[in-house]
Amino acid sequence: MEPPESITLDAAEKIILRWDSTASEETTDRMIFDGDRREVDQYLQAVDEIQRSMSAATISDGDRKGNSTIQIAMARLEDEFRSILISNTSPLETDSLIDSSFSTHSSSINVHSGEFEEYPEDERVLRQVGESPKAGESSSRASASYRSTNSIRELDLIPAEAIDNLRCIAERMISAGYHHECVQVYGSVRKSAVDSSFRRLGVENLSIGDIQRLEWDVLEVKIRRWIRAAKVCVRILFASEKKLCEQIFKGLDTATDNACFIETVKGPAIQLFKFAEAISISRRTPEKLFKMLDLHDALLDLLPDIDAVFESESSESIRIQAAEILSRLAEAARGILSEFENAVLSEPSKVPVPGGTIHPLTRYVMNYINLISDYKQTLNELIVSKPSTGSRYSGDQTMPDMDFAEFEGRTPLALHLIWIIVILQFNVEGKSKCYRDNSLAHLFIMNNLHYIVQKAKGSQELREIIGDDYLKKLTWKYQQAATSYQRTTWVRVLYCLRDEGLHVSGSFSSGVSKSALRERFKAFNAMFEEVHRTQAMWHVPDSQLREELRISITEKLLPAYRSFLGRFRSHIESGRHPENYIKYSAEDLETAVLDFFEGYPVSQHLRRRSQ
Amino acid sequence: MPSTENQGSSSPFMSFGRSILSIRREQVHSMEANHDPNTQESEIELFLQLISKRFHDLSVVSADELLSLAWMRKLLDAFICCHEEFRVILLNNKVQVCKPPLERLVAEFFDRCLKALDICNATRDGIEKIRQWEKQLEIVLSAMDSRQRTMGEGQFRRARKALMDLAIAMLDEKETGSIFSHRNRSFGRHQSSKDQRHHLPGHSRSLSWSVSRSWSAAKQLQSIANNLVPPRGNDISATNGLAVPVFAMSYVLMFVLWALVAAIPCQDRGLQIHCSVPRHFSWGAPFILLQERIMEESKKRERRNSSGLLKEINQMERCASHMTDLVDSIHFPLTDELKTEAGQQVQEVTLLCEALKNGLDPLERQVREVFRKIMNGRTEGLEFLGSVNKPE
Repeated sequence: MEPPESITLDAAEKIILRWDSTASEETTDRMIFDGDRREVDQYLQAVDEIQRSMSAATISDGDRKGNSTIQIAMARLEDEFRSILISNTSPLETDSLIDSSFSTHSSSINVHSGEFEEYPEDERVLRQVGESPKAGESSSRASASYRSTNSIRELDLIPAEAIDNLRCIAERMISAGYHHECVQVYGSVRKSAVDSSFRRLGVENLSIGDIQRLEWDVLEVKIRRWIRAAKVCVRILFASEKKLCEQIFKGLDTATDNACFIETVKGPAIQLFKFAEAISISRRTPEKLFKMLDLHDALLDLLPDIDAVFESESSESIRIQAAEILSRLAEAARGILSEFENAVLSEPSKVPVPGGTIHPLTRYVMNYINLISDYKQTLNELIVSKPSTGSRYSGDQTMPDMDFAEFEGRTPLALHLIWIIVILQFNVEGKSKCYRDNSLAHLFIMNNLHYIVQKAKGSQELREIIGDDYLKKLTWKYQQAATSYQRTTWVRVLYCLRDEGLHVSGSFSSGVSKSALRERFKAFNAMFEEVHRTQAMWHVPDSQLREELRISITEKLLPAYRSFLGRFRSHIESGRHPENYIKYSAEDLETAVLDFFEGYPVSQHLRRRSQ
Repeated sequence: MPSTENQGSSSPFMSFGRSILSIRREQVHSMEANHDPNTQESEIELFLQLISKRFHDLSVVSADELLSLAWMRKLLDAFICCHEEFRVILLNNKVQVCKPPLERLVAEFFDRCLKALDICNATRDGIEKIRQWEKQLEIVLSAMDSRQRTMGEGQFRRARKALMDLAIAMLDEKETGSIFSHRNRSFGRHQSSKDQRHHLPGHSRSLSWSVSRSWSAAKQLQSIANNLVPPRGNDISATNGLAVPVFAMSYVLMFVLWALVAAIPCQDRGLQIHCSVPRHFSWGAPFILLQERIMEESKKRERRNSSGLLKEINQMERCASHMTDLVDSIHFPLTDELKTEAGQQVQEVTLLCEALKNGLDPLERQVREVFRKIMNGRTEGLEFLGSVNKPE
């Protein structure tokens, strides 16, 4: 509002001198802008008058006085500016800013059990101020992908009236050539404010060394928090600071506008990105893949907004740094995948898993690639080259290899996943050789390949990536293993029940050699008992597979035994102690087979056939 | 004074350095005379010569150029150059590098590299601080710019205010630099205006963005220097001599960081680190010289409490001090003598600000480049070292 009367130079000077900060205590006890609006207008008018007279006057020594007065005014205005800023600066109400579109589940892989775990985030799912919540992200396991639809949202950090006042002051300071001081004051107050907001958002100030020393599961939590905080920092906090600078300095001097913004946010931006940078250079071990990808995706999502907020030339280093971090995270992801493949190939444990059951490595790898398939959207973009190991590279024929021609037209990611299964298979086969018992070795292979197929079929994405053809191959392989197992174990057992060698033709009688027959029965019983005792301890975890295997055994065993019994029992029963030889009925055997592959020991005594 | 290119002619150290170099080189040659030259040997030899040459050039500069912005950039340049060569050596000798004992030595080098990254980051903060001081000086210049109008009382007052703020800011840095106690600068609605008046403009002066509050440059340097000892004879022979370049590069790394921390304001700076100077290596001579010269600089009376040994910081302190004296002695009407003196000082400050404006950005970019190179080299190296090393 324009004051009604114009003001004389003398009066103006008096007003300025009255409010001289350095002159008396009285005038510094209160701020002009805290008081009466008329006093404010009067003061501003006085400043304008002094400036006007100085620019109108010719350069002469007599102007010294005005020169001095303007300095007093500027010093005062600087204090006023600071005061208004400080009293209107409060840290961001961060609670209300946490977006509701964050997913509510997070996936992680437990290195020890090989199982992957899902656990709910302890997010506060709140609405944005005044807005309806955005549609939640699909919270399938693909929730770990943070491609969200958030965008820049500028808040009014300072009420409009205060902005007007600040602008009034800035205008005058800048036109008097005091823009340096203005920027200084602005920067120092706002930097503190950003620092406070950072603390509220949980943005920590850790050194790279600190971060490297932390355990990964601690870091995972920090990464999640960082992603949340970074979105708020870039899209709301920094964007709002930029807006504030524009509101105060717009049209006055573009250099000042930008200088204030950079002054305020450069340090905080560096601090913010430092964390992501430190993560991108941490040691590449497999369990880190998924959180790294989360971080990568979050940063990728933020990049356009970073570029928008830091568009000026002087903030180029921040944009460059963000882009660098992104590419380093991508490199890290690629490196981790490569590390993983090497680890699977060279996993050296030679201790055979008891009972021939599923090896922890198999579980871990299948769960791992399951999670990878969840991230396929990102990984398809990051993984661009085919797997580069194998016998075709090392010339080592004992290494596995894969014929890429078979997989024409697949994405590099698909090739990598298939390759991982190939080397897993290779490794499993290698481990099977540690079993002294060949049967067990075959069972082991059967179990593990079956698990691979089941896991692959269980996930739509994984199944698509690997392809049914390959799965058919694997299926055939484990069926083969099952057959090999049966052959290895049962051929010699059933050999006891063969016809040849039992018939004797001789001078005294043509018929069956009773002694040979007795030996046969004894041998069969002993073998069967041994097989029973041993293989009850073996384990086929999959119930369907277990059933099928048992059925297959009984289908071969029972008819052979029944037939043998049928033909030869009379010979035994006509001799002494038949119960020593015909210990079991067919039903007994059938029952006994039910004990197989349960993984528990059984009592040594089978139910004798009831006489 | 703005730094000029090294003329190289008048330094008494140069011939001294050269003669030591030639003596030492002969000694080394006699040590290595028994070996047949092969690629690996010459590669190592070349590398050590490179270090020797680059740092010799740095060590023989004039007193004016030592620790100036331009010199710092040359220092970092030399580092990047040596680091690149070292990288190539590692890549060329991958098989050997992955075997003990070299593997352990190289892993230790990468550990040191990791620690170096924080120092690079802290240096960026320091450069930012110097920028802040330079901006204060610009206010002084703006005030004293006699082209605009005749110098009046107001302008001198403005200059004095800016100089006071600058002095406080630089003092503040010394305090936080050595004690790292965070002065509690609270702000809020309930502050009385009286407090506000006494409030210094540097609210955020003690905010450090690149390193945590408890981080200490001196401690970080010391941890890099720990166990940095020349390789033993059997290590050298077990590694075909490769243990020597690993040690040399580690030493160069530590030295360059030490010089950076000495020059640039850093949180909890300290110049005393315990590390044995490689006296019996010929390439060690320039470092001995440089260390002496830098320590000497730090002991000068006026620099003892400086927040950084950078030449331009010294110049800022001196200019500020002279300017303050001038401004304090001002009385009107201005004598011609005072006018001339003021003009001269303004000229000095203008040149200094120019040098700072032109020099700080490139220095920061280069620190960042050093950061990048160290980081990339480490990532690359760790990859081919493989999973043999224990996780950090």
